[in-house]
Amino acid sequence: MRKYIYSFSAALVLAAGFSSCVKDKYLNPVSQTALSDATAFDTKPRIDGQVMGIYSGLKSGQLLGGRYFIYNDVRPENFLSNDGNRVTARAAWEFSETSGDNEVNNLWAACYTTINRVNVFLEGMEAKGNAVAGADAGRFNGEARFSRALAYYSLLQFYCRPYWDGNGARPGVPLRLTAIKGGGYNNLKRSTVGEVYQQILADLNYAEQNLLLNNGTAILNTTRAHRNTAIALKVRVYMSMQNYTAAITEANKMVPAAAPFVAATGVPNALSASLASVYSTYTTNESMFSMPFTTVDPPGTQNQLGFYYMPLGVGGANGIFYLNPSGVIADAGWTATDARRSFVITNGGKQWLAKYTNPGPFLDWTPVIRYPEVLLSLAEALVRTNNTVDARAVALLNAVRNRADAATTYTTASFANATALTNAILQERNIEFLGEGIRSIDILRLGLDFPAKSVPGFSVSAVPASSSAYYWPTPSEESRYNALID
Amino acid sequence: MRKLYLLLMGVVFFAIQANAQRTITGKVTDEKGNPIANASVLVKGSTVGTSTSATGIYTISVPASAKALIFSSVDMTSQEVLIGSKTTIDVSLKAEDKVMQEVVVVGYGTQKKSDVTGNIATVKGSAIADKPVPSFDAALAGRAAGVQITTANGVLNNPPVFRIRGTNSINLSSYPLIVIDGVVTYTGDNSQTLAASNVLSNINPSDIESMEILKDAAATAIYGSRAANGVVLITTKKGKRGKARVNYDGWVGFTQPTRIWSMLNAEQYMMIKNEGLSNVGAAPRYLPSYTNDGKLINTNWADVIFRQGVSHSHNLNVAGANEYTSYFFSIGYTNQQGMIRKNDFDRKTIRFNVDHKVNNWMSVGVNSSYANELNEAAINSGSLPGAAFASAGVGRLALSLPPNVGVYNNDGSYNISGNAIGKMNNVEVPTFWNPQPMLDNNYSTTENNRIVGNAYIQIKPTKDITFRTSYGVDYLNTDNKNFYTKLQGDGFSLGGTAFSTLSKDKRWTLTSTLQYDKTFGSHSVNLLLGTEQQRSTFEGFGLTRQTLSDDFFTVIQGGFNTPLTAGLGLGENYLASKFGRINYDFKKKYFISGSVRNDGYSAFAAGKKFGNFYSYSGGWDLSRENFWSKGLSKVLNSFKLRASYGKVGNISGIGNFSSFSFFSSGLYNGGASLAFSQAGNTDLTWETSKKSDIGFTFALFNNLISGEFAFYKNNIDGLLLSVPNAPSTGMPNAVLQNVGSMYNKGVEITLNSTPVKGKRFNWNTSLNISNNTNKVTALAPGVPFITTATSLETPSITRVGYPVGMIYVVETRGVDAATGRRIFVRADGAEILYNHQAPVASRWTYRSNGQVAPAINPGLDQKVWRNTAPKYFGGFDNNFRFDNFEVSALLTYQFDFYVYNGTRATVLDQRFWNSTTEVLTRWQKPGDVTKIPRLVYADNVSNGSAQPISENAQKGDFVKLRSLTLAYNLPASLTSKAGISSMRFYLSGQNLAMITKYQGPDPEVSSNGNSNTSQGVDRNTVGNALTVTVGLSVGF
Repeated sequence: MRKYIYSFSAALVLAAGFSSCVKDKYLNPVSQTALSDATAFDTKPRIDGQVMGIYSGLKSGQLLGGRYFIYNDVRPENFLSNDGNRVTARAAWEFSETSGDNEVNNLWAACYTTINRVNVFLEGMEAKGNAVAGADAGRFNGEARFSRALAYYSLLQFYCRPYWDGNGARPGVPLRLTAIKGGGYNNLKRSTVGEVYQQILADLNYAEQNLLLNNGTAILNTTRAHRNTAIALKVRVYMSMQNYTAAITEANKMVPAAAPFVAATGVPNALSASLASVYSTYTTNESMFSMPFTTVDPPGTQNQLGFYYMPLGVGGANGIFYLNPSGVIADAGWTATDARRSFVITNGGKQWLAKYTNPGPFLDWTPVIRYPEVLLSLAEALVRTNNTVDARAVALLNAVRNRADAATTYTTASFANATALTNAILQERNIEFLGEGIRSIDILRLGLDFPAKSVPGFSVSAVPASSSAYYWPTPSEESRYNALID
Repeated sequence: MRKLYLLLMGVVFFAIQANAQRTITGKVTDEKGNPIANASVLVKGSTVGTSTSATGIYTISVPASAKALIFSSVDMTSQEVLIGSKTTIDVSLKAEDKVMQEVVVVGYGTQKKSDVTGNIATVKGSAIADKPVPSFDAALAGRAAGVQITTANGVLNNPPVFRIRGTNSINLSSYPLIVIDGVVTYTGDNSQTLAASNVLSNINPSDIESMEILKDAAATAIYGSRAANGVVLITTKKGKRGKARVNYDGWVGFTQPTRIWSMLNAEQYMMIKNEGLSNVGAAPRYLPSYTNDGKLINTNWADVIFRQGVSHSHNLNVAGANEYTSYFFSIGYTNQQGMIRKNDFDRKTIRFNVDHKVNNWMSVGVNSSYANELNEAAINSGSLPGAAFASAGVGRLALSLPPNVGVYNNDGSYNISGNAIGKMNNVEVPTFWNPQPMLDNNYSTTENNRIVGNAYIQIKPTKDITFRTSYGVDYLNTDNKNFYTKLQGDGFSLGGTAFSTLSKDKRWTLTSTLQYDKTFGSHSVNLLLGTEQQRSTFEGFGLTRQTLSDDFFTVIQGGFNTPLTAGLGLGENYLASKFGRINYDFKKKYFISGSVRNDGYSAFAAGKKFGNFYSYSGGWDLSRENFWSKGLSKVLNSFKLRASYGKVGNISGIGNFSSFSFFSSGLYNGGASLAFSQAGNTDLTWETSKKSDIGFTFALFNNLISGEFAFYKNNIDGLLLSVPNAPSTGMPNAVLQNVGSMYNKGVEITLNSTPVKGKRFNWNTSLNISNNTNKVTALAPGVPFITTATSLETPSITRVGYPVGMIYVVETRGVDAATGRRIFVRADGAEILYNHQAPVASRWTYRSNGQVAPAINPGLDQKVWRNTAPKYFGGFDNNFRFDNFEVSALLTYQFDFYVYNGTRATVLDQRFWNSTTEVLTRWQKPGDVTKIPRLVYADNVSNGSAQPISENAQKGDFVKLRSLTLAYNLPASLTSKAGISSMRFYLSGQNLAMITKYQGPDPEVSSNGNSNTSQGVDRNTVGNALTVTVGLSVGF
């Protein structure tokens, strides 16, 4: 019996010893839900996917997916706050942003997330991806650098003095151009505004040379950059730098001398005959760059344009901002029959912007660059350069106006002088791009005051260019961990 | 039972040995001379025996051969007396040193308490069994030195903040390792809904026999890489020798909020808010509304949100054992209503434990339990981690909603306007949500189905060797369901939404040990060798659906327009270990012990997966020395020194794949995208704690007072930190790096006494107090501090040279009596005043000269302010018994700490939010000295909403009457007639009273759950509940 027990026990001990052999496959597991960094540039679809990943960085609800537009639109005079909640752009509206505010921190972070994705991508392409991508490598790199330019341009609109202040000599943002894939890179001082603009232009010039002339389909021509997109952004950048000559040069690359101003090269960008379809089908030739949304890829809560601008309760919207009755909608020259008036609706005694009418989850695409901006920028640059009532400028202005309002046609006689024409062009931009994030950019680049505005019981005084509130403070998270920031 | 058996045997022997030679009589007493009834009197070396009468008198007939009598009684040291020629033998029995005879559960075994050289505190299951809490951990507060339990708030089944000897990590978990019947279990909140779901509540507290809290390295190092936060060993009940016993325990209880903020009523609200307007020259915007019968609408929103909850609990168990088999079978059911409406907890449990001796060398056994548990909520409590600023958070809604608007309109419909409460006659538009439609229509439930079990086989090939192998499984299936109405709240902008997720946590543990126990004369040796593997896997998936196709639907399977994924997750980890321990003692006087463990963990970087952990310890029982037995022993009758040192680790909270860098897929324009999503650390390895402990146990005046003292220090090296990145790096994550260091050191004192021990009246008392000092000594290179946000604000900082998680605020110095403005202090020391009425660019002015000053920049001007971890904490437990009545009271206390009372910023905000009555003391005219600044409409800066201010950092010291129980045991004489062996009624109250200067509902609070770096934050959190229960226990 004893012998039996011993042998049985020994067998069990052995069995246990055997079973306790360490299982290597358990000890060295491999993720099944994410790709290792070592393989991210192994195939062309993965490289293409990374380009899309860069765009989706821009598409963040904190950035071009929503809030970038909202901040740019509510800081000027056209919208009034219907909601005291600071986290839904109230602080931006009343110019009380502090360095600790989430809006200040999140927009900054969203821009730099995109920038680092680009830097990681460019480094990986250099190391491996260019060989894998072959003929498409230049185009992919061009899309990445276009996106980086757009992200840096977005930062400059919020965290810095405008370019005209010291001709770009004022502090810009930290210029991150190398891939960061680990800790230890916190400290980097701000470059000057001018240095950041030069980098933006370098990226856009590269993009212009390497992007496809045409991405092939209307959707791809709207959601991914092509050559005209890079040129159009360059026009915007030069306008912000008040370099009107360069803006004209760039715009003339695609805008013909005379109406109907259909882009002569690349994608035949043109004004869509139907204004409504610009905001409903999203992919007309007018939409040069937009952020797309689908039911499975929505902008996220409290980021969606419709959620902010549509009246309270309509389609689940929150009615956070309504139209200022003494803002641009008060312009008598903006006639009642103008098709753009159909985007102004009345609800509960207030007027609201109805460009983004899709109900929750609010999947309207956000229009980042539309062709009429190029036309009106060109018109303005022409007037400012020639300092005359420029006939082509008037034609360009008419192109935009007549598409919505055939009854109003300007002639050179309509304007007493160049200033009157410039003002008309600026007003046209204000009307045309209401709720599209352009108004604030125009105020900044021209050094105008942000006008005063008020809601019952609360008023916001005008913010002149000299005010510290003209741009946002350094995000507190950046101050905390970047010892060289300020 | 045993005595009865002896008695019977005695009778039998009496019958057989009718020729008994002589009769001995006598009296058995205790040391004070009180008679001892039912003491056993046994002839040595035989089964002949008797027991004493109620007056301690005995008579026994002994055979001629009898040499000695053995006297014994419960709780008394047995005594042997030679018979000689005596016919009368009176004996005085000494009280047994009960503590030293107890057996304690240790890692992978048991030990006599007197042999233990590590620091272990034991809490009996009976101390917590009838407490109206879902899980045992919440009931441990104040029960053991070094154990700090903070009940975060009154949300049902929210895990408490559980710390043993301080916070022992920064980015990993500081929650102790919980081991149930030898198998390491899951901890934390596994809910993906608005309900909290502490997974430890799957264990029915009334199934617990004992809880051992392992604190120092000597006790914990056998758990190696998981021991840094201490270990809690839970042992479930087993059957005891004798016929089957049946026990029923049940209670009914009532729960309600306590110490809630005192808010303004409608009239006061309008007066205060309109004053803020008139101060800026604006017309009143807060106007009265009336009911149909003309009464002013005056809504107490706390009544809408809170309730008196009714709870009940029932446990039935059957247990018994014979020579070969012991068994314990229980079923439990409890349904508990929390103080927030629709926050419910419902649990059904079954447990079956059986141990069977197959023969003289083999035994087998099973511990198994099943639990079905439903955690229910309808609305966001605003009190769980990450929810402090949730729009639906009822903690805030109860405080902020205007009292001058109704829940309903006068026509009975909900008072809502879009996605907000309707303003009624107010001009001001309140933008918060009306909770009623959400309470009525939403649900958010987490259902857990869990099986925990292990089976073992144990072989003893010789008397000294024990081989044991066990296999345990822990399967936790969780079903999360949510529905949000489109009427109001989170579902509004989505047109109504439902989301559900299913998740599976599965774990198996295979443990094999070989134990050798041998005593050679004065030398005792105990050797343990073992191997263990534990593999855990997780899988989860789910669905989010948005935009109801028809209001009829309220379930995820109904009609919706949009499908999205939710709750996707896939994880695995694996721990493979070898361990050993040796204990040696010489004459039970000198003890040495050592343990070692080698762990390999899958989450660490390639080549860095294995780590070694160890401890060594020693003990010296001075009271067994000859020199002690003289005069000293009369006073200090027991004194044992012990010391230990060891190295242990922490892996809890490390991501399964943290060492890797990843690109993850996403979507852009309906197509696949790929983006850099995780920066890994290819050097990722163990965080280690070096723990030293020195202490002694003692007993005074013949065990009248006993106690324990310990001094400890825990040095944590290679602290794993998620090293923060400046946002401009664009990094997707903070990389875990082994960079920091920190220590905890402290003193623990436990005193136990039975000052009065009589037949009719008994008083037991136990006091413990602990002091802990925590200090961070290094963070990452170039990172002198890490700040931690509570959702939208950042009131916490961890900085080198300070304890982890200090309050981090802009200093304020009250209210300027001349202007009524809040005095802020900039980093450079300048005092600046804030006036919300001024234009934005000129709101900040120097107090000294009135000139415009730059705005406060929280990134630069916030300061390290006060500690949040109490420096002293503990419990004071008293039990009184008078005849059949018992009273027990547990006080818990925490001293010398601060709480960031962010809720006070909410209740003094000058937007439409309601205020506490404290606002009535506001500044009104120059010269007013008050804490409340001049009221300015829409001012969100002066009182701390825009950035945390030192004004709201308040001392949290408290003493709390955590539990008070009054019980009555029916006399056995009465119950036995009904065939009942025991019956007990009790009335019990939890959280009945508190002494504190803290302004919020409860300084025992955590808006951030178990977070290490953001404790001591009270941000819109609901307070704790007060509970009263009536209970009954019956034993058959």
